[in-house]
Amino acid sequence: MKQIRLKVNGLSHELEVKPWATLLDTLREDLGLTGTKEGCGQGECGACTVLMDGKPVNACLILAMEAQGKEILTIEGLAQGDELHPVQQAFVDIGGMQCGFCTPGMVLSAKALLDEKPEPTDEEIRKGLEGNFCRCTGYTKIIESVRAAVERMKG
Amino acid sequence: MEEYSVIGKRLPRIDAKEKVIGQAKYAADCSLPGMLWCKVARAPYAHARILHVDTSAALKVPGVKAVISGKDFGGYTWGFMATTRDEPPLAVDKVRYLYEGVAAVAAIDEETAEEACELIKVEYEELPGVFDPEEALREGSPVIHDYRPNNVSVEYHWSFGDVEKAFAESYIVREDRFETGKVITGFLEPPASLAYYDPSGSITVWPAKQSPYFHYRHLAACFRLPLSKIRIIQPFIGGGFGGTKNDSVAGDFCVVMLSKKAGKPVKYVYPMEEVLTTCRRRHNMIIYNKMGMTKEGILTAVESRVIGNGGAYTAIGPLTMYLTGCATTMPYRLPHYKYDAWRAFTNNPVSAAMRGHGFTHTRFACDIQMGMLAEELGIDPVEIKMRNAIDNPKRGEEYRTINGISFKTCGLKEALKSVAGERLWADKDRMEKEKGPISYGVGISGTTYQGGARQLGHQSCGAMVRICEDGTVNLITGATDCGQGSDTVLAMIAAEELGARYEDISIKRVDSAYTPVDPGSYGSRVTLLAGQATQLAARDAKKQLMQAAASAWGVAPDEVEIKSGFAYPKSKPDKRISFEKLAKIACYEGSGAVILGRGHSSYGLEEIDFNTGTGNGGTSYSFTAQTVRLGVDMETGKVDVTDFTIAHDGGMPLHPVSVESQNEGGAVQGQSQAMYEQFIMEKGFTHNRTLLDYKMPRSTDVPDIKVIDIITDDPDGPFGAKEASEGSIVSTPPALVDAIHAATGVWFKELPVTPEKIVRALKEKGKWPG
Amino acid sequence: MPLFYRRLPRFEYVSPGTVDEAIAFISGHGEDAKLLAGGTDLVPQLKGREVKARYVVDLKAIPGLDAVSSNGTSVTIGALATISTIARSPLVNERLPLLVQAASVMASPQVRNRGTFVGNICSAVPSADSAPGLLALEARVHLLGPGGERIVAIDRFFTGPRTTVVARDEVALAIEVPLPPAVSRGVYLKLSPRHSMDLAVVGVAVHAVCDNGVCTRVRIGLGAVAPTPVRAPVAESLLEGRAITPELVDEAARHSVTQCSPIDDHRASQEYRCDMVYVMTRRALTQVLLEGGK
Repeated sequence: MKQIRLKVNGLSHELEVKPWATLLDTLREDLGLTGTKEGCGQGECGACTVLMDGKPVNACLILAMEAQGKEILTIEGLAQGDELHPVQQAFVDIGGMQCGFCTPGMVLSAKALLDEKPEPTDEEIRKGLEGNFCRCTGYTKIIESVRAAVERMKG
Repeated sequence: MEEYSVIGKRLPRIDAKEKVIGQAKYAADCSLPGMLWCKVARAPYAHARILHVDTSAALKVPGVKAVISGKDFGGYTWGFMATTRDEPPLAVDKVRYLYEGVAAVAAIDEETAEEACELIKVEYEELPGVFDPEEALREGSPVIHDYRPNNVSVEYHWSFGDVEKAFAESYIVREDRFETGKVITGFLEPPASLAYYDPSGSITVWPAKQSPYFHYRHLAACFRLPLSKIRIIQPFIGGGFGGTKNDSVAGDFCVVMLSKKAGKPVKYVYPMEEVLTTCRRRHNMIIYNKMGMTKEGILTAVESRVIGNGGAYTAIGPLTMYLTGCATTMPYRLPHYKYDAWRAFTNNPVSAAMRGHGFTHTRFACDIQMGMLAEELGIDPVEIKMRNAIDNPKRGEEYRTINGISFKTCGLKEALKSVAGERLWADKDRMEKEKGPISYGVGISGTTYQGGARQLGHQSCGAMVRICEDGTVNLITGATDCGQGSDTVLAMIAAEELGARYEDISIKRVDSAYTPVDPGSYGSRVTLLAGQATQLAARDAKKQLMQAAASAWGVAPDEVEIKSGFAYPKSKPDKRISFEKLAKIACYEGSGAVILGRGHSSYGLEEIDFNTGTGNGGTSYSFTAQTVRLGVDMETGKVDVTDFTIAHDGGMPLHPVSVESQNEGGAVQGQSQAMYEQFIMEKGFTHNRTLLDYKMPRSTDVPDIKVIDIITDDPDGPFGAKEASEGSIVSTPPALVDAIHAATGVWFKELPVTPEKIVRALKEKGKWPG
Repeated sequence: MPLFYRRLPRFEYVSPGTVDEAIAFISGHGEDAKLLAGGTDLVPQLKGREVKARYVVDLKAIPGLDAVSSNGTSVTIGALATISTIARSPLVNERLPLLVQAASVMASPQVRNRGTFVGNICSAVPSADSAPGLLALEARVHLLGPGGERIVAIDRFFTGPRTTVVARDEVALAIEVPLPPAVSRGVYLKLSPRHSMDLAVVGVAVHAVCDNGVCTRVRIGLGAVAPTPVRAPVAESLLEGRAITPELVDEAARHSVTQCSPIDDHRASQEYRCDMVYVMTRRALTQVLLEGGK
């Protein structure tokens, strides 16, 4: 077991982790933050997307040890109390989900995209979400939700 | 059209908030103190006798608490019908597909369980295998199940009218061979379950199941416990689409057995590779289709000979082969029909149900053949469909096909007119046909799917509506929302029927200790049948509320109106009180009353005879017309799908957002199975077993989609609803293949139509520009 | 006993603070130690038990390896520079836009934020998207071992599917790309069935220095069509110093096919790959030599 120190959703944690544990395992099992999902475990589906130092990454491909000293944002850390992030609110209002399993990863990828490009073109939205697989919605209402978030974040 | 308060409104999904904040809990998110992890050890052969299983080394690994093998299940097998219970939780005497489970370990953590599995020693006698269904049916092929020495899992021979005579009298007859692909459900959430076997004789499970009550019955039979002692608590489900999550898999049985042995809760989660190589997938089918027409393009007869690749066990195969054949007589009038079908056992993973169950194969074949005949006859593709399409029956009447399927509404003609009138089809000749190497084409289809499925066994849905004293409402049903949005629709139905507000309805997820039994999510039945149960339960509760108000106001009960969260006497609408106040009046009457409404679905059940093909399994049928525009790069074969227009007759869109989303998602799945997905198998071995190589669309692959609601207001659905979940997965592949034909001049009869297949076909026809 | 692993195998995690420490460790442990940079290739391989490691040696604590910099004659891409960093680097965008094209079609944003170009070439998958462009730009790889530093030309770097010249005890420190003249143009075309997330079925990079319709230097890099990424020297020499016409481009593209030895696998057949080498090379050459490329 090794010791790591990292910040998750604004809170500092000191954890004992196995060297072969992934960041995903640590978030879900040691910190009980089950909002981040495991879909494929291979970095192909994006269900495990978290923001590390502001950038979207696949937590299933990162060793817990590699997260030493990093700041992680998971889906649970996005809303401010009762107030949803505009991306989250847009997904609720437009209906950008069905089963919801891809949703945490999708919302975080969308947030990261808009942080970098506040007014993306449709093609940039699609490309920004290419790492997040959805089987239910056909992406249509997901893209609509992101477009709606763009409008709301403008004003 | 009635004005509803809740029905038909674009409301947010009832579980949207939990999902966007990461609070929705799925099976893999559940844990209990002292929980152990389960890992399934699998066979390295596609067909082999098991001679000896030695788990001793695994048991010695520190941290391992229990190890089981096939024999531990005491000969239990399960299957869809009493005569087809041929599948064991873990293989016992024989392995029939590569990676079939043979043993399982429970340990303090998953890596220990994995290491222990490595130490399990099994002695096999490898047997020759058979992997192609037509080969499996031939004399001399290896026998997979002793009880089916000819490898025929299911066999049907149906005949309606006189096809021979009808073909002889036809102006034109075509015979073609079609093949649908080896594809899988593709849900993102892998199967998982947390189970606890209480030594006092009960089981509690949190499984990822869209039909939890099937699993409940499997567990009761397997562990010889009464149903009342099996408690399935349903988490959120991360996608179902039929097959695996309607059934049980090795992991599901193993966690319960391991929990029984170890005395602790046990959990399993399949990694995606395990899903793609071992879980249920759609049958792939070979369809030899013969279709006749008059000179005017009117259908005279169809003869279908279908061979289904069943894989190693029967599972839901009997139903699959029935559904595959039953819909050839619709949505176009067909007076003569012959269907001969075989489901072959092969040493492949089990084929089972998937969205669009059965219909996807034959509606594809028939729609494409119709397009080919239209071309030969020189008839416009929309025109030929309109000439044959079944008319919308008049109110009070129903249409009956020659095999006994009946329906009271059919919006196919309206749907066809609608998509034909939209710009994608209407302006196709004015749109760009070529751009550099890209050739554009627009295709069209007109198809149908079954809703409100009812077959054998217990098919009823029940619901209870409980009015809390503060006017909020608990809706309790056994129905499962696997992501399609049924919880939202049921809550809307309850609100509309009760006269309460949508925001005040709380729906409880399935917990078999409390919720009434329900077949679950399949055959597009939840909105219709659980919806009817909900409607009746709400009406029952409403009656009790009306009684209470009537007493309080001194009026007759039918004088009381409850609507949009308010109650008032009809003659004095300004004397209204809130629903909350009404609830208080009702609940605090006398010594206190409990307002509880109950209902169960009761849409008429008709007999179906799988052997003759007669009967009707659906409550109603949806009809979908679709156009697809795409561009084919004539040099590389790569296809860019640009637009879909989908006109779906779902009776009445109760929750328009869900109806659109289902049509969009189903269409993209249909697109995917028509052009991207295929398992490349070799002697039972799956070459492409990751999401990289089992290709499903990403956000950059999907077209712009327009969904149009065709409203036919069906009398057999709550508020006129019919199914809106599977129509577009049936309509998309034929429309897409029709579009590829428009772009390339080539008719493709085998799915998926990959870039490589397109290039090969163009080369064969001397049309490849390279 | 087959089973499907969800967890990584047990290993020890080592985080050296300098390159020398890293080299000393891997020299001492041979096959038991594996280097970790982005992890987007190593972690899935470890999970799938395709690769074994008793020690995972994380290079990310070593300073100075993540930069993309220029000394006026060449651009150096450090071992730890992520694909995203490369794609966003103003330097690369201005002087080596071909590499930005390659970077932007690799995997996903999540993978690009962790994976590296050096890791991509060291994993040496024949379809590696960074390779054709690096071949066309005649890059060099800087390796450091116990015996010192050596520089290997990229076209000698790959030795087979998933094998390179990097020794057991060496660390690849950087890729050095000579700065091409400002008038040069390049393109990377990737052919795959979907629009994202696929490995290249065929990857073609073309880089050329042209003046008035005559090209003094043309380099063609091909990926996914041989055991390693390769150049197409016969096609290149057909074009150099000649006035470029569509017929010449077509001839060169046909010659490129002869450089290839693709296999039949579940992703594509040999016939299709060869046909596509012709098509995609012709398109890349057309874009760069006839239409002005980027």
